[in-house]
Amino acid sequence: MDIRLSADLSGGARRMKDSPQVTPVRNYLWTLAALLTLLALSAGSALLKLGALNSVMNIAISVTKTLLVMAIFMHETHARRLTRLVSAVGFVWLAILIGLTLSDFLTRTKIPAPW
Amino acid sequence: MNSAEAEFRANTALLEEQFDEPAQQREAATLGMWVFLSTEILFFGVLFAGYTVMRVLHPLGFAIASRQTDMLLGTVETAVLLTSSSLIALGVRAVKLNQWRTATWLMAGTASLGLAFLVMHGFEYYKEYTEHLIPGINFSRHGPQAPAVELFFFLYYCITGFHSLHVAVGVILIAVLAVRVSHQVFGSQRYTTPELTALYWHLVDIVWIFVYPLIYLVGRAG
Repeated sequence: MDIRLSADLSGGARRMKDSPQVTPVRNYLWTLAALLTLLALSAGSALLKLGALNSVMNIAISVTKTLLVMAIFMHETHARRLTRLVSAVGFVWLAILIGLTLSDFLTRTKIPAPW
Repeated sequence: MNSAEAEFRANTALLEEQFDEPAQQREAATLGMWVFLSTEILFFGVLFAGYTVMRVLHPLGFAIASRQTDMLLGTVETAVLLTSSSLIALGVRAVKLNQWRTATWLMAGTASLGLAFLVMHGFEYYKEYTEHLIPGINFSRHGPQAPAVELFFFLYYCITGFHSLHVAVGVILIAVLAVRVSHQVFGSQRYTTPELTALYWHLVDIVWIFVYPLIYLVGRAG
């Protein structure tokens, strides 16, 4: 049977040790530097006349920032695959919500009343 | 409790009976936290979806409205939140290394930056009140785009209001955390609470990362 039994079956909490996973300080610092640079980039690009590209740039920068925060600050690079999957699911669901809603609103045509 | 006792506590993982090892117990806690954070993503997500539809329908009105927000203050607020995220990440790292003093200062720093964010946002709200930009209560804009501007500000208060509420909750949680860290409640074997609180704080940061361009940066060019 592929069932793992706890070493201590008498019940209640036990005390155990393991070594914590520690990220080097410099990783956090370069992430912060990258995030602040991206912030300056989004503020700067918003002032340029780029048309529709303004919004595309802004969203692309926000997605990049989010991936940085998740990968380094939220330790997703060390997380188990199941944890990573669950953390992505919320965003995927949101993309479906916005995508399907827009597919409605963007394809509506105004039909004038026949009278 | 003397400090030797505290140190022993912080350096011994308390394993609940359903888990085989501390790593498994921590992974379960992280997974559960992410399930909660996913509900948070969808909570803010509907507001963003509503924003997207209204912006598609009223692009000009949203550009006019966005130009009336305070871009400089919004940018500073974003920098403050990003910095606070790095501080709490460093704080959790310090807890894992039993550097309690450093961890306490980093957590206190995070909470202070959160508080600074709330104060700045308060100033923004006050400024908008004096400029008559509160839909339904104190709103005076005229012209063909006025209804769209009102819609933008309605969404603005919903999104930033709920976000500020989350920041306020985070500030309280992290302030309590700072006190507990200073009492050496957590340590190299007991850091699930700081780690999960940090995850919450990072998500609040991520929400703001999207609020910033959608609220402050529309129609800024030209």
